[in-house]
Amino acid sequence: MTHITTKIHPYAKVYAEDAKAGKLDRREFLARTTALGVTATAAYGLIGAAAPAHAAGHAQQGGTIRMQMEVRALKDPRTYDWTQIAFFSHGWLEYLVEYNNDGSFAPMLLSSWEVNDDATVYTLNVRPGVKWNDGSDFTAADVARNIEGWCDKNVEGNSMAGRFAVLIDEATGTAVDGSVEVVDDLTVRLNLPASDITLIAGMADYPAAIVPADFDPENMTGNPVGTGPYLPETLEVGVKAVLVRNEGFEWWGYAENRGAFLDRIEYIDYGTDPSAWVAAAAADEVDMFYETVGDFVDVVEGIGWERSEVASAATIVIRPNQLAEVDGTQPYADKRVRQAIAMAVDNAVCLELGYANRGVVARNQHVGPMHPAWADVPGLPFDPEGALALLTEAGMADFEMEITSIDDDWRKNTTDAVAAQLRDAGFNIKRTIIPGSTFWNDWTKYPFSSTNWNHRPIDTQILGLAYRSGEAWNEAGFANAEFDTLLAEANSLADAGERREVMAKLQGIMTDEGVTIQPYWRTVYRHAKPGIVGWDMHIAYLPQMYKVAFAA
Amino acid sequence: MGLFILRRLGVMLLTALCLTFIVFWLTNLAPNLEKLAKTQGNARMSDEAVVSWLENRGYSQALPVKYGQWLGVLPGYVIEGADGEVRARCQLPGEPVEDASTFCGILQGDWGYSTVFKDEVGSIVATRLGLTGKLMLCVMLVMVPGALIIGVLAGMREGSRTDRSLSTVSIVSTATPEYVSGVVFISVFATATFGMQWFKGTATSAMDDATFENFFLPVITIALYGMGYIARMTRASMTEVMTAQYIRTARLKGVSFPKIVLRHALRNALIAPFTVIMLQFPWLLNGVVIVETLFNYKGFGWVLVQAAGNNDIELLLGVSIVSVFVVLITQLISDIGYVFLNPRIRIS
Amino acid sequence: MEALTWTGSLGGYLNPIFMILVGLLIIALVAQMVLGFFAPPQTLQANPDGTIAATAGPLGLAETGVKWLFLATLTVVVAYIIVPLVMPYGSAGIIGEMSKRFLPVWVALIALFAVSIYYKRKLGLYGKLFDSTIGMIGFALVMFWVFTALFVGVFDWIGTHDYLSQVSGLKNKVPGVPVPEGTEGAIPHYLLGGDNLARDIFSRVVTGSVFVIAIAPLATIFAFMVGITLGLPAGFYGGKLDTFLSFVANLILAFPVILLFYLLVTPEIVQTGIPSYMAAFLFVFPLIFFGVLLNSRYYTQPAKRNAILIPVLGILGWLYLSIINQKGTVIDFLPAWMDLFDISILVVFVSVVFVNAPTVFRIVRGLTLDLRTRDYVAAAQTRGEGAWYIMLWEILPNARGPLIVDFCLRIGYTTILLGTLGFFGLGLSSESPDWGSTINEGRKLLLIYAHPALPPAVALLSLVLGLNLLADGLREESLKD
Repeated sequence: MTHITTKIHPYAKVYAEDAKAGKLDRREFLARTTALGVTATAAYGLIGAAAPAHAAGHAQQGGTIRMQMEVRALKDPRTYDWTQIAFFSHGWLEYLVEYNNDGSFAPMLLSSWEVNDDATVYTLNVRPGVKWNDGSDFTAADVARNIEGWCDKNVEGNSMAGRFAVLIDEATGTAVDGSVEVVDDLTVRLNLPASDITLIAGMADYPAAIVPADFDPENMTGNPVGTGPYLPETLEVGVKAVLVRNEGFEWWGYAENRGAFLDRIEYIDYGTDPSAWVAAAAADEVDMFYETVGDFVDVVEGIGWERSEVASAATIVIRPNQLAEVDGTQPYADKRVRQAIAMAVDNAVCLELGYANRGVVARNQHVGPMHPAWADVPGLPFDPEGALALLTEAGMADFEMEITSIDDDWRKNTTDAVAAQLRDAGFNIKRTIIPGSTFWNDWTKYPFSSTNWNHRPIDTQILGLAYRSGEAWNEAGFANAEFDTLLAEANSLADAGERREVMAKLQGIMTDEGVTIQPYWRTVYRHAKPGIVGWDMHIAYLPQMYKVAFAA
Repeated sequence: MGLFILRRLGVMLLTALCLTFIVFWLTNLAPNLEKLAKTQGNARMSDEAVVSWLENRGYSQALPVKYGQWLGVLPGYVIEGADGEVRARCQLPGEPVEDASTFCGILQGDWGYSTVFKDEVGSIVATRLGLTGKLMLCVMLVMVPGALIIGVLAGMREGSRTDRSLSTVSIVSTATPEYVSGVVFISVFATATFGMQWFKGTATSAMDDATFENFFLPVITIALYGMGYIARMTRASMTEVMTAQYIRTARLKGVSFPKIVLRHALRNALIAPFTVIMLQFPWLLNGVVIVETLFNYKGFGWVLVQAAGNNDIELLLGVSIVSVFVVLITQLISDIGYVFLNPRIRIS
Repeated sequence: MEALTWTGSLGGYLNPIFMILVGLLIIALVAQMVLGFFAPPQTLQANPDGTIAATAGPLGLAETGVKWLFLATLTVVVAYIIVPLVMPYGSAGIIGEMSKRFLPVWVALIALFAVSIYYKRKLGLYGKLFDSTIGMIGFALVMFWVFTALFVGVFDWIGTHDYLSQVSGLKNKVPGVPVPEGTEGAIPHYLLGGDNLARDIFSRVVTGSVFVIAIAPLATIFAFMVGITLGLPAGFYGGKLDTFLSFVANLILAFPVILLFYLLVTPEIVQTGIPSYMAAFLFVFPLIFFGVLLNSRYYTQPAKRNAILIPVLGILGWLYLSIINQKGTVIDFLPAWMDLFDISILVVFVSVVFVNAPTVFRIVRGLTLDLRTRDYVAAAQTRGEGAWYIMLWEILPNARGPLIVDFCLRIGYTTILLGTLGFFGLGLSSESPDWGSTINEGRKLLLIYAHPALPPAVALLSLVLGLNLLADGLREESLKD
C-alpha cells in the first residue's frame, strides 16, 4: 500500500475506540473506516494491528486455472444480476474499488478517496498511469461518465440506480445536475443532495464494472476495450468461457505488484447440480469451484480438496409477493397472511434441512449481527397454531399457496422445508420447481418463491436494493412510505450507534409486516485442489481472479 | 428399386414438413411467445409492450406466413415497428435493412439465430451433433457386436443353460433404464465408496479429448439398455433359423456345428436384428438426452433440453429437423438394407 | 430407542449360513459355466437291456449341486422373511420389520398363488403362466407391487410414516435410525433411513408404488384402446384409411419422445388447454370401443343391446367427463358433485398415452393384416357378419397372445417413461414420491449417501424386470399352443 491518507475521518477514530473497547469486531471496523477513505493499512494501524501480508511472495507466474462456474451470456454490466457474469468480464472491465474478506475497501482504479464529515461530499482520486487497452488514458472523465451511467434509471434493469439512488433526480431519472463533478484529470467530486454512507460499497459491487466511452453491450467480446490484464478468448454460453492474458498490454497492476499471475483462466459450466461439480472435481477436470454448497462440503473434502470458508450475510429469502395476483386477487397483500406464513416456519429447521446447519439462524429481517448497525429486535414467535388461526381469520385457510423455487440443491431444499412446515401447520401448499435456465426470467414476479441474496457489507444496502418501494429488485412487492423515509434517514447517519436506533425501527417493520421469511445466514464455502493460492472464497462472491496463482 | 426409394423420400419430406409445422405451431403459441418476449426483452414488460415487441419482430404474423418465411419460400418480413425502427428478418447484425436479402430460410441454408446461446443455429447444431455423433459411434461399436454375440450364443442352442443365463442377462439389461444404471455406475466406478475408482463420473473433458477413462461410463450406460433388446431379437431370429430345414439338412450331412453356425445360419439370422439396430437410432436419442445430462456431456441432447427449456424457437426447430431426419433416414436405410439382405423379398 | 441393524438377532444364526451358501453357490455356478464350455455334451447311451442311461460326468454333478444349493439359499431367504413375523418388535432387524410391514402383501400373494395353481388348468393362458418358472417369478414381482400399491393406496397400511413430513434430526440418516420421541408414525424407526429432507424413505417408496401402479397400467390400457380402435379398421379395410392412419402414426413415432414431452409438459402449453383437448380426444376411444364392441354383438337383439349398452355407456361417459373435466382448465363445465376426481397430472397421463398409442396401432394393424386372410374370417363373412363384429369378435381374440405380451412389456416401458419424466422434473411435483423423481433427488448426494437413491431404483428395477419376465413367460406359454 503506497498511498497514505493524511486526514483521518473523525468517525474512523470513534470506530477505532469502539473496536479497541471490543464493541466492534474487526471486520465491521475495517468496513466502516475504509468506506470513509481510510486505507486498510492505516485502519489496521488505528487499532494497533498490522495489516496482513501480501501472498504474492508464494505465487508462481503463469499457468492455467480451470474453474467450475455457470457460464452466462454477457450484457450491460449495470444490469448484471449474476456474479458469474462479472467473473468473466472482470478480466478486462475492472472496478473502482474492491471489497475484501476482512471487511476493508481497497482502491483499484481509484487510488484513494475522501468523504467529508457528514458524508455529503465524496472526493475520488483516479489512479494515475492507468491505460485502456486501446492505448488511451483512463481519466476522471471516464469515472464521471460511468457514475452518470449508473444513475440512469431509464435503463431497464439497471440495479446500480438503486445503489446510487441518492444522486438520482426523481423527475428525470438521471443524475442530479452538478452532482458528479470533474475537478481535474484525476479527480472527481460527488456532491450528494443528502448524506449517504454506502456509495463506496456500491462501487465495489459486481455490476459496477467500469466501461469505456464507446461501450456497446451487444458486442462485448468483439471489442473488449477495458483496463484489465486479460482478454476474452471464447464465450460459449452454458459451456465454457476463457480469459487469456493480454500480452503486450502494460496493466497498471503489474507495477503495483498486484498479481494477475495466471496466463489463462477457463470457466467451465457443469450446470446447477452440485453432484456434477463433484464428479468433475473427482475426474480432475477442474481446479477450483465457484462455490460449494451444503452437503457437498464434506463430499469435496472427501476427495482431498482444500476448504475456504467465510461466515457471511449471504442468505435466502422465501417471500410472498404482495402485488402478485392469483386468480384475480392479491392473496399476500393481507398482512395477516404474511405474518401467518412467518409464524408457521421454524427458521432453525430450515437451516438444518436446507443448508446442513452450515450457518446462523436469522430473524426474517434481512439485517444481521454481522452488520454494523444491527439492532437486537426479536422476530415473530414460532407458533403454528397461532399461524393457522391468523390465516383463518384472514379468510385464506383454503387458499392454495404455490411456492416456487429453482431446481438446485440448497435453495430447493430450504424451500421444501418451508413448504413442509407450512403444510404441517395446516396450510394448503403446492410446490413448483423451475429449472435454472428459466427461473430467473420471472424471479421478481412469482407469487411466492425463494431467492438467494449475496452478502452486502452495510446494513442499509440490502434494504435499499430489495425492499425500497419500486426498486428493480424489490421481489416482495413491498411498498411502505414509512419504511422508505426511515431508510433514507438511516442512510444519512454515518455513525452506527445513531443509525442503530433507526435500524431497530426498520427491522421492526420488516418483522411486523411479515415481508419475508429469511431463515438463516449462510457460511459460504469454496474448494480448490491443493497447490493453489489466493483463491479464498469471497464473502460477497466478488470476482478477484487476479489474486489466484499456483503456489511457487 | 429407384421408384421405391423415391417414394420413400417423398413421404419423408412430407413427414418432415408436418413435424416441423407442429413444432412451429407449439412454440409459436401465444403463452410461449409471451415468455420469449419477456426473456429477451425484460421480465417486467407490460402487456402492451409485449404485443409491440412481438409485432416489431414479426412474431404477430399469421402462422403459415411465419412458417413460410422460416422455410424460405416466402419473402422475409420487413416491418416498420411502432418505435419507428425498421427491422427485416433477413438482416444480418449491423447490416442496413436495404441490403438484406429477400429470402432467408432453411432452403437458403439459413437456420436462424439462437436467442439463448446468441449464436447461429446452424453452427450450434453442427458442433453439438458432431459431439453426439462421437458418442453414438462409440455406443454402436460396443452395443452392436456385444448384442449380436450374446444373441447368437444364446440362440444357437435353444433351451440350454447358456441360453437361459444369457437371456436373463438381456432381460435385466432391458429392464434397467439409463437413469438407474448411470447412477449406479457413477457411484460404484467413479467414487471412492467401493474402492473401484476406475473411471470418471463426468464426460465434459471427453468433448475435446475422449479417453477410455472419461468416455467409458456414458457409452456403456447407453449401450447396456439397448443391448438387451437387440440381443433378444437376434436370439429369436437365430433360434428360428436353427430349426429351418436347410440347417437340419446340413447337420444330417455331417457339417460341424461351428461351421453350420458361421456359414449357414448367421447371415439369415442377422437380417431381423439389422432392422432392429437401425430402428434403435431414434430410440437411442432418449438415452442420449439422459446420459448427456447425467454425465454433463454437451452434445445434441443437451442442446435439446436447453432449447426446449428456454423456448428458443429457431434452435428448437433446428433440433427437431435434425432428429426427424435421423429417424426417417434410419427407417429408409433399414428398409433398403432389409431388401438387400433378404433374397426372398423383391420389390417390383 | 436403539437403532435397528439389518437382520437383528436373527442374523446371528442365519447370516453365517447364508454367507456360506451364497459362497458355495457362486463357486458351483462358476464351475458349471466353465465346465459347460469344455465338457462334452451329455450323451445318451443305449444299454443292452434296452434302457437309456445319461452319463452325468462332472457337469451333471455341478448342475445337481447348483440346484440343491439354490434351493437351500432360497430356504434361508424365506426364513429371513417368515421367522420375524412371530418375533417381537425390534428383534428381527430392518429386514424383519419390513417383512412384517409387508405381511398383508405376503398373505395376498400366497392366497393368489395357491388358488391360481390349484385351478390352473381351468384358467386358460393365465393358468399356463404357472407352468413357467420365469413367468411365475415375473408375476410374483409384479403382483408384489400391485398388492403393495393397493394396500397403501386403499387402506394406508404398509407405510410407517407420512411420506411428506420432515422430522428434524433425521436428514440423510442411515437405515434403521430411531425417530425422536413424540414423532407420529406406526413404528419408532425409519426403516430405510431418512432422505435429504428428513422424510422416511421406506414410506416414500411404498407410496411411490401407488403412483406408478395407478398410472402405468391405466395409461397403457388407454393406449391400447386407441391403438386397437384405430388399428383394426386400418388393417382390415386397408386403402386410404390405412395410408392416412399409418402416416399419422409414423409422424408421432418420428418425434423424439423427450422433445415431445418438453413441448407438451410445460406450464405455457397447459395454459393453452392443448392437453385438455388431447385428453378429450384420446379418452373418448374407450367409449367408442365398448360401444361398438357391444353393439356389434347384440345388434340383432335390440332390447338386450339397449339393456346392456345404456348402463355401460352411461357409467363410462360419466367417468370420461370426470377425467377430462379439470378445475381451472379450458374444460371445466361439470358441477363439482359430478366431478369424481381431479387428476393433477393429467398432462403427464395424456402425454404418455399419446406416445404409446401409435406403436400399439402398428402392432394391431400388422396382426389384423395377417389374420384377416384366415378361414374363420372368411367363414364369418359368408355368415353375413358385420365388419366390426369380425374385427372385434373374430380377429381381436385371436390376436390376444402377442397383444397381452406387448401389454406387459409396454407397462414396463411406461414405468420407465414416467421415471424419465420424473428425472427431468417434467410435469410432476418435486415432492412427488414417484420413483423417477426420488431417484433424481437421491442421485445428487449419491457420492456420500447411497441409501436414499437405491430403494426407489431397486423398486423400479424389480417392477420392470417382473413385467419383462412375465411377458417372456406369457410369450413362451402362448407359443406352445
